[in-house]
Amino acid sequence: MLKIKNLHVSIEGKKILKGFSLDVNAGEIHAIMGPNGTGKSTLAAVLAGKEGYEITDGTVEFEGLNILELEPEERARLGVFLAFQYPVEIPGVSNANFLKAAVNEIRKSKGLDNILPNDFLKMIREKMELVEMSKDFISRSVNQGFSGGEKKRNEIFQLAMLDPKLSILDETDSGLDIDALRIVANGVNKLRTSNNAFIVITHYQRLLEYIVPDIVHVMYDGKIVKSGDKNLALELEEKGYDWVKELDNVPAN
Amino acid sequence: MNIDTLKEYTPKVIESTRQNSLMQAIALGIPSMKNEEWKYTYYNKILQQGFAPTYTPATVNIKKDFIDKHSVSGNNIVFLNGIYQPELSSLKPSAGVVFTNTANTSEQISNDFLIELNNAFATDGLYLEISDNVILTDLIEVLYIQSNTSGIIQHRNKIKIGKHAQVSLAEYYISYDNLPVYVNNVTHIEIDERAIFDSYKIQDGGEVFYITEQTFVQQAKNSTATVNTFSLSGAITRNVLQFDSQDERTLSNMNGLYLLKKNEHVDNRTLVNHNAPNCESNELYKGIIDGNAVGVFNGKIRVAQEAQKTNAFQSNRNILLSEDAAIYTKPQLEIFADDVKCSHGATIAQIEESELFYLQARGIGKDVARGLLVYAFAGELLEKIKHEALKLSLKKRIADLLNIEI
Repeated sequence: MLKIKNLHVSIEGKKILKGFSLDVNAGEIHAIMGPNGTGKSTLAAVLAGKEGYEITDGTVEFEGLNILELEPEERARLGVFLAFQYPVEIPGVSNANFLKAAVNEIRKSKGLDNILPNDFLKMIREKMELVEMSKDFISRSVNQGFSGGEKKRNEIFQLAMLDPKLSILDETDSGLDIDALRIVANGVNKLRTSNNAFIVITHYQRLLEYIVPDIVHVMYDGKIVKSGDKNLALELEEKGYDWVKELDNVPAN
Repeated sequence: MNIDTLKEYTPKVIESTRQNSLMQAIALGIPSMKNEEWKYTYYNKILQQGFAPTYTPATVNIKKDFIDKHSVSGNNIVFLNGIYQPELSSLKPSAGVVFTNTANTSEQISNDFLIELNNAFATDGLYLEISDNVILTDLIEVLYIQSNTSGIIQHRNKIKIGKHAQVSLAEYYISYDNLPVYVNNVTHIEIDERAIFDSYKIQDGGEVFYITEQTFVQQAKNSTATVNTFSLSGAITRNVLQFDSQDERTLSNMNGLYLLKKNEHVDNRTLVNHNAPNCESNELYKGIIDGNAVGVFNGKIRVAQEAQKTNAFQSNRNILLSEDAAIYTKPQLEIFADDVKCSHGATIAQIEESELFYLQARGIGKDVARGLLVYAFAGELLEKIKHEALKLSLKKRIADLLNIEI
């Protein structure tokens, strides 16, 4: 589904990703772990199409299509979804209007008519239950005045509404208490199918107790330095990230 | 039109007061950009379109369903090319409401060219008197419909609101055929003690519609007046809005939204004269400026020495959507009292990139995303509309202008 080959990315001349490669197939959950400043969030932003990143080398193919030249909305319409580490507050735009616009723009790109109001409301009710959102949420402005936990739940709620093929969760666990973490993880687990895939970016092993990954990658200094099964996450938790730094220069498998 | 054109009218003018006004207009001359009040608005550009004063504006036949399309309350007074149209109007009769059509020209001579031009040539206008204690729930709508005329269309309006009365009025500037037209309106409003008056001005006549209008509001003790100005389309629009607070505890609210594109130009000039103690004024103008459009905002607050305990707040916030869009914004506070709370602020910003990216990342195209964000920015002013049907109609219109669905 996703093939990243030898990706090099700079921000204002500073090299962040230095030969990052990754293959993700449908049905898989990949975890990417690593210390601060190794380029995990840059990877997420580049995949989603955020401006301000200079891609100096490498390719990113999504379902056989080079997506690096596409606008963020075009990638989203193809089925790439980024759950933001810091969801943006948008005063004055209600969640309902926002989601309706998103759902309809994606439908339009597939040649479908706008969703019927009743179907939209039904869909919202269903998906809200998934992440235990309160009812008043829908009329509130996007993320405005939301607690950290509510913002992250809102990301997963949007994920449920838009039903992407590939979801990138960028430190969705940061700032969550254990209850919110459980809600978010349950949401993701219910949305998991054999046709979609997840990349879970996280610092801590904690989230991976709830969302069990097929493959764990350790990232350091702009590339993957080690990959393994879920036990690698436990090993990292035990040994700490200093251990990872020693792994640098070891080729990834 | 130029000053020589005006001189040709002098022999034809019969009434002496009109004659005096005409002479004064000629003496004052056409406003130039050297005049501080006209620094950013080139008045001659309007006249260069070929508009000239007239006592006999052209008439056209307009169907009733055109009126219905533009009226949200069905309680309306229709002017066509400056002349009242009783057969098209449908003002519901109501006790304590007097409406007549008449040019409410003034014998007082001013120092304003446009007031004197209006004084000399206004052919018709709205006279509305609301008796004491009358509370009207129906919105009164005034439709200024223009159609294919090179005549300068001038309404001269006078509105009197009695003690404890409550009334809402909406004025619409409408084009029938999208041909160039110019309207120069002057309105005087007197609001008596404890009365509440809400006014909505909807300027949406299209890209070749020119407006200069001046509204003067006098407020007696404990009265509340709110004027909401929505400038949604128009070639050149210049709005002068003046509040005079003459006695204690008046509340004056001025809200404005201007949505400019292409080569449109809107100049909003407001003046609040606080002449008595314990009064309050609130002003919020927001602008969204795209293309090569230009916005001008000049907000002046004068607090006289005896107007202690005045609270006066002013804010002008702008979003520029293009490199070539411009806004000239200037607050002016003249405060002679020492125990007052006054504040003003002006901001000029662009669309927040992080917000735009967030929306795009959910599949929303850049244009629609921008539209949603601009709509949100305008929302604060739309929410101030107290009349639900009018609010809904303006929300739809603004969403249409921004190419979004709400």
